[in-house]
Amino acid sequence: MAATAKRWTCVEAGCDYELVAPDAASAIEGAQRHIAEAHSSFELEEMIEDVLEDVPAAEAQSRRRAEI
Amino acid sequence: MAATVRRSVDPNVVRKFHFTREMIEGPVYRKYEKAIRKVWSVEDLDFTQDAKDWNRIDDEQKRGLLGVTVRFLAGEQNVTEELVPMLAASHALNRFDWTVFLSTFLMEEAKHAEFFMRWHDRVVGVLEPEEVAQHFLVRGKTIDPSGRFEVRDVLHEALPYYGRKLMETTLDGTEAEIERAFVAFSAAYNAFVEGVLTMPSYEIVIDTTSSWNAFPTLREGFRLILMDEGRHITFGTYACKLLIEKDPSYEEEVHRVFDAYRGNIVGLVEYQKAVPGLDLNKYQTMKVRHYRNRCREMGITPDETLIEQILDPSIDFVVGVEAG
Repeated sequence: MAATAKRWTCVEAGCDYELVAPDAASAIEGAQRHIAEAHSSFELEEMIEDVLEDVPAAEAQSRRRAEI
Repeated sequence: MAATVRRSVDPNVVRKFHFTREMIEGPVYRKYEKAIRKVWSVEDLDFTQDAKDWNRIDDEQKRGLLGVTVRFLAGEQNVTEELVPMLAASHALNRFDWTVFLSTFLMEEAKHAEFFMRWHDRVVGVLEPEEVAQHFLVRGKTIDPSGRFEVRDVLHEALPYYGRKLMETTLDGTEAEIERAFVAFSAAYNAFVEGVLTMPSYEIVIDTTSSWNAFPTLREGFRLILMDEGRHITFGTYACKLLIEKDPSYEEEVHRVFDAYRGNIVGLVEYQKAVPGLDLNKYQTMKVRHYRNRCREMGITPDETLIEQILDPSIDFVVGVEAG
């Protein structure tokens, strides 16, 4: 079964960054990269994993098309 | 595997067993399994370079760093001792997966205390209570010049207070009363202390020792401790989320706790000014991120007035330092 796409949004003050990744592991990696690069800080794995939202397949697909 | 024929059994015998398939596939049991996989030992750490670095930094740097590490030494001992009510309440609520996870939680807090004990002994040469107490910054001295905020010692005052209430309720209360007291205790312990107040302190130590190019083992210890803390914090916030979903009125307990200790969060952490050269704004905005994250994990609405006050540059008194 294909992994469900995941959404994570940054809640740093003044930041509205959002990412959609094909699976949880990629979402965690992307979120940690964002926090390090944009905020010179770090976010723990569990704190990202526990707030990931499932992205409906149709939305994930349309986002992938838009990115292409 | 061949299926066995089920026969009816005495419910009193069934109650002796707690594992279920749903439980072992659930998020709390997965945190337990991860904790077991990630066990680390203080004995494996080498303090030699840190001891050399301690001898080469100046007195101001020593004072600044020791102010933070001694607070962690006291704090880790405190959170080890104060976890017992949560274990008792989990048992009373028949949450065996919570009890199982909390066994790793308690061991890890004891290990964190051990790490700071060893670091102070081998690097600074202090261990006895009378030796380390000399470097402890008493937060009761804090004064907010505007008079708007009261600053209290959340770690050594709130945790025993909410812990005692949870323990008393566990012994005599109804299930709903235990759940409500659990949310209040977890909001204080996991969300407020571990999840918001302490997070900037970890980064301050990591940023400071990185900028000094010193104390690699202190940094490594912090990295290992943070891995454990991520599980502890999100266990507490997940437990709160489950209980708040069951009874949304429990949400007010979380806001009540954060409101009671508001001054500790809106003020600057003393280390922000004790260590020269740090970007003070970074640690305030970070507190907002962690506060919003904890609320998101618990499924509750953040208090926007608290966020505005954390970010208000005119509120710049330092927790732990007398203004004037």
